[in-house]
Amino acid sequence: MKNNQNPSIRQVKIYSIVTLILIIIGSGISYWTADRIEFYTHAVMHTSEVLQRTDQLYANILERETNIRGYVLTGNEDFLSLYKQSKVDAELLLNQLQGLTMDHQSQQNNIEELRGLINSRVRTFEAAIEHIDKNGNLNGFLNPSKVNDALIGYKMIKDIVLRINEVENDLFRERNQVLINNINALPLIVALISLFSITIGLVTFFSIYQYNKAQITANREITLFQEKLRDQIKLLDDSNKELEQFAYVASHDLQEPLRKITAFSDLLNEQYADKLQGDGNLYLERITAAAVRMRRLITDLLEYSRAGRVSIEQVKPVKLSKVISELLEDFELVIKDKSAKITTGKLPKVKGTDTEYRQVFQNLISNSLKFAKSDINPDISITSQKADQALISEFPTLDKKVNYHLIKLVDNGIGFEKEYADRIFSIFQRLHGKKEYEGTGIGLSITRKIIEKNGGVIFADSNPGKGATFNILLPFIEG
Amino acid sequence: MSFEKPIQILVAEDDEDDKLLILKAFERTLPKEKIACVEDGEALLKYLKHAAPYDDPEKYPKPDIILLDLNMPRKDGREALAEIKGCEDLKSIPVIIFTTSNSADDIKVTYKMGSSSYITKPGSFEELVKVTEEIENYWSKIVLLPA
Repeated sequence: MKNNQNPSIRQVKIYSIVTLILIIIGSGISYWTADRIEFYTHAVMHTSEVLQRTDQLYANILERETNIRGYVLTGNEDFLSLYKQSKVDAELLLNQLQGLTMDHQSQQNNIEELRGLINSRVRTFEAAIEHIDKNGNLNGFLNPSKVNDALIGYKMIKDIVLRINEVENDLFRERNQVLINNINALPLIVALISLFSITIGLVTFFSIYQYNKAQITANREITLFQEKLRDQIKLLDDSNKELEQFAYVASHDLQEPLRKITAFSDLLNEQYADKLQGDGNLYLERITAAAVRMRRLITDLLEYSRAGRVSIEQVKPVKLSKVISELLEDFELVIKDKSAKITTGKLPKVKGTDTEYRQVFQNLISNSLKFAKSDINPDISITSQKADQALISEFPTLDKKVNYHLIKLVDNGIGFEKEYADRIFSIFQRLHGKKEYEGTGIGLSITRKIIEKNGGVIFADSNPGKGATFNILLPFIEG
Repeated sequence: MSFEKPIQILVAEDDEDDKLLILKAFERTLPKEKIACVEDGEALLKYLKHAAPYDDPEKYPKPDIILLDLNMPRKDGREALAEIKGCEDLKSIPVIIFTTSNSADDIKVTYKMGSSSYITKPGSFEELVKVTEEIENYWSKIVLLPA
């Protein structure tokens, strides 16, 4: 039906798990991107710091040159002390640069080279200062080769500073590009993941919505069905009661005219028997006998319609062993008369009333005694065991979730043909002529009615001449 | 014992056959004039209260006991019983329920209402005669009735 199209709970679960995974991946990517951004921001800052230091260093070198020149030209000691200070500053800046470019080998090399060039310039300056200290002036110190060296030295320093800046600028550009790429990619990634998550979320929501809708429809259908079932059960109940009522009223009212037939034929017999001629008396006898039999039938029908009609308050656990032992006392005379043997095993407690089970076993025992073989003594055994599942499942009226007692009554009587196993429980059904065995055939149908009313079933097994077995299945009760 | 005054019986019974059978049975032990019949509860109350057409006390004497069928037209046995037991002048008359019903409810209710006995109509004439003999014997010879 419709239910086949419903997304199963499993599908919804899968959707939810996928959504969760996507959200986790999204978060991971976002975090990773943010981390990258932070890293590159840091790197950019680092580059600008390197550039700044390099510029400072270059300015420092120029400053020193100026100071030295000032000292050489004027002999003023202030220039010398400024020169010394700038020497210390240069050393500090170089060390800082070295520290900043630890992760970049070529920069380290460049800085080392720069340091060497600066030191070589420093050595020249030191020599010049020494010369001045010794001679009072620079006369004889400068020569064309030294001037040339100084020019080359400056050019080299300038070159190396430019190179450092260039490398750092390249690095900056490169890192900046990566950072821009990352920043640009982030919203896209986030958007994609969000879109995907939203899609999956929508699909999940829609599935759940569909599922709920289907569920609601199904529930409504179930409710409707239950209501219908309840109505039908009530209808069935009512019609059952009506039927019982009908049987009761019918049999009760049928007795009325019958009673009169009997009474008036009694009167006729009493007052006019001697005046009747020919077969008159025989006919009168037949009328009386038929009326008596009909009366018996009606009484039985009444009894049948009443059987199992007990109020719920009367229903209680019934000890079968007690019911049967009391019953056997009633049967004492018949048992002795027929030299019958009746044995009982351990019997359970079952749901119902004492009267009902008295009726059940009265009917079954008297049935077995009635249909005993003429040449052997009747032997009847009543036992109980737990019914196995295979047996229970043979009867659609039984509840497969409940345990049942299997109560067996086995006799050694005349038995019956297998094909009659069902018919014997039907009302007024007889397998034998009225002359052979008396009775109307109501006993077993009353028995069945009572057993079924108490949630059980009864069935019989037999073979002609091999005795009969009556099997009763009744549900376990608490306690 | 033989000098006991025969009791006067009033039978309330709507069924002609039953009425005939009851009369025939009582006639075995009682003179015909000791048994009167009415056909429903309304007539029964009229008889007991000497209302027309039962205003002649000679012809319609006050009964010693009443045999009351439960299911009758117009006023049924239960209503008639309630009225009799509710009437100061009539409540001392023993009422014997004589019916086909053997419902436990009817038995309990009518005893509660003040009936003296409850008898279901027997199946054969022979049994009916036994019952009427017993009734006659019991109410005329064993128990004492108010004057």
